Amino acid sequence: MKRWILLFLVYLNTPLLFSQEEVSKWEINGYLKQMQTFLFFNNSYFDLQQFKLVDTFLLDNLIHNRVNIKYYASENLTFKADIRTRFFYGDLVRQTPRFGAQIDNANNDYLDLSLVLLDGSSAVLHSMLDRLYVEYVSGEWEIRLGRQRINWGINTVWNPNDVFNAFAFTDFDYEERPGSDALRVRKYFGFASSLEIAVKAFDRVEEAVIAGLWKFNTGKYDYQILAGYVREDLALGAGWAGNLGNAGFKGEFTYFAPLKEENNNAFALTFALDYQFQNSLYLNAGYLFNSQGQPDANIVQLFNFELSARNLYPYRHAAFMAVTYPVSPLLNAGLTTIYSPGPSNALFLNPVVAYSLKTNWDIDLTGQLSFFQNDGYTSPLQALFLRTKWSF
Amino acid sequence: MNVKKIFLLTLTCFLGTGFLFSQESLDAKTIVNRSDEKLNGKTSIAEMKMTIVRPAWQREVLLKTWGVEDKLGLILITGPARDKGTAFLRREKEIWNWQPSIDRVIKLPPSMMMQSWMGSDFTNDDLVKQSSMVDDYSHELLGKEEVEGRACYKIEMIPHEDAAVVWGKILIWIDSEEYMQMKVEFYDEDDYLVNTMYGKNVKVLGGKTLPSVLEVIPAEEEGHKTIIEYLSLQFDKPMKDSFFSVQNMKRVR
Repeated sequence: MKRWILLFLVYLNTPLLFSQEEVSKWEINGYLKQMQTFLFFNNSYFDLQQFKLVDTFLLDNLIHNRVNIKYYASENLTFKADIRTRFFYGDLVRQTPRFGAQIDNANNDYLDLSLVLLDGSSAVLHSMLDRLYVEYVSGEWEIRLGRQRINWGINTVWNPNDVFNAFAFTDFDYEERPGSDALRVRKYFGFASSLEIAVKAFDRVEEAVIAGLWKFNTGKYDYQILAGYVREDLALGAGWAGNLGNAGFKGEFTYFAPLKEENNNAFALTFALDYQFQNSLYLNAGYLFNSQGQPDANIVQLFNFELSARNLYPYRHAAFMAVTYPVSPLLNAGLTTIYSPGPSNALFLNPVVAYSLKTNWDIDLTGQLSFFQNDGYTSPLQALFLRTKWSF
Repeated sequence: MNVKKIFLLTLTCFLGTGFLFSQESLDAKTIVNRSDEKLNGKTSIAEMKMTIVRPAWQREVLLKTWGVEDKLGLILITGPARDKGTAFLRREKEIWNWQPSIDRVIKLPPSMMMQSWMGSDFTNDDLVKQSSMVDDYSHELLGKEEVEGRACYKIEMIPHEDAAVVWGKILIWIDSEEYMQMKVEFYDEDDYLVNTMYGKNVKVLGGKTLPSVLEVIPAEEEGHKTIIEYLSLQFDKPMKDSFFSVQNMKRVR
């Protein structure tokens, strides 16, 4: 109950604090989003009554509010609290047993900073703090304690170096991604070099992540090397971001060596090239090798797959190409295609059209279409998302 | 609107100020050089508002920029709310982008710096290659004309044969007292007018008399224009190299 009160005190008081305090000490922003989800299942929805896979169509809705609060207590000390509140209603809520509890479990780390405020059979209101940290900065030193995002990834589609945060591949609506309850100490050297160590809170050593990252820049390339203990594995990885001619060239890989004999080792490598043409057409193409992937996985797994740096995609090989084009300064269109060679020829298509309605008002339409070989080439699941966003 | 593009535009404008305010009178090259010295500070800090105007809509972006010659640059978007806090760091040919919402630094491909800016009416080539305004063109004084109530030299600039210049011809009107570029017409190789740039609202900015508003109007697009308004400008304030770092890009306000 105390958390509940805390959460809402922060919520209610922020505008007040904002007006009372010196403006520059507070930074408050966020957004309000409404998203409609259309899910088309082709013989891929598991019906609990019939106990078999059926065709179905589900319509789901999400109203999503985010408030980011930053308080500059002094030159060196900063506090951050971000609150994410979502109201779900529709078919998916109705048809998923214990939807509220599922949502609540999926988003927490070590600390329980979330609440199901309303747990109805067809509507769920959920609120959480997905960032809550204090940061101390002195010269080149930076120390951050609390729930934070430790983002070590370099590439746009897959991030083998992102060992701290697991995230769902298809959850594009959560661009901030979940935070980790951790301590992170970083020292910067020069303009693009740093050394950092981060430790995630844990009770059992099996859940611990303790890793270091060294970043440096040489010959117009950014490089990074990471090493650490990641959930019963020793992890060793590296990444780079530079250019080949006028194209960007980025890559990263991590090798996971198990400390227990019964576990498998894992290796994930990805690299990509990106280029922006004279007419603003932007092209990004790359490849993933994922040793934990299966050549014959069902592509529907992509939608209920808890990804980690250890296993980034259901398939072993994947090639992607993303194209975006600003049709006008207000209208952007893009298509990402991911193809996995192998017996199932899995294909994932992600078209996006985004339009700026007016200042701070955006609308976009996103598709997630999956195809694979299984008694013929079929598309078991097609998802369409219509989203309106107001930023403040 | 694509913030990367805003970065490019700002970058080009920033570098372009020297070009815009370079001067030309009796002896073209001497005066251009002198104006470069006057207007191209070693460092510069600016706050600006850019407005893209189209027949059916317009959008504003607020920016803060820091620069050391044309080598180091830092740009922070301060408005609107949607893009606020996004920052760009440039060191020579390397560019990094900071996205506060995802807590991530992204290195951008060099092609992003070279491409033209589609969203507004500014283009890269005319602005970035400011140094070539002296060396890559031959200059001829056509006479004197009044622009915005100010007496100006009217000068025709024709690029040298081997110069890497997109324009076929440039006509430029330079204030005869303050050596400000009050109007510039850009022509393509077939002698068609492509863009006109106006310098407006002359003010004392950073201790220098300058147009505080730059307006670019494309010739062929009815109702289109892009306006840059300098809200503040400072020159030659000492800045440390470490200001232009990934660490500072994330913290600068």
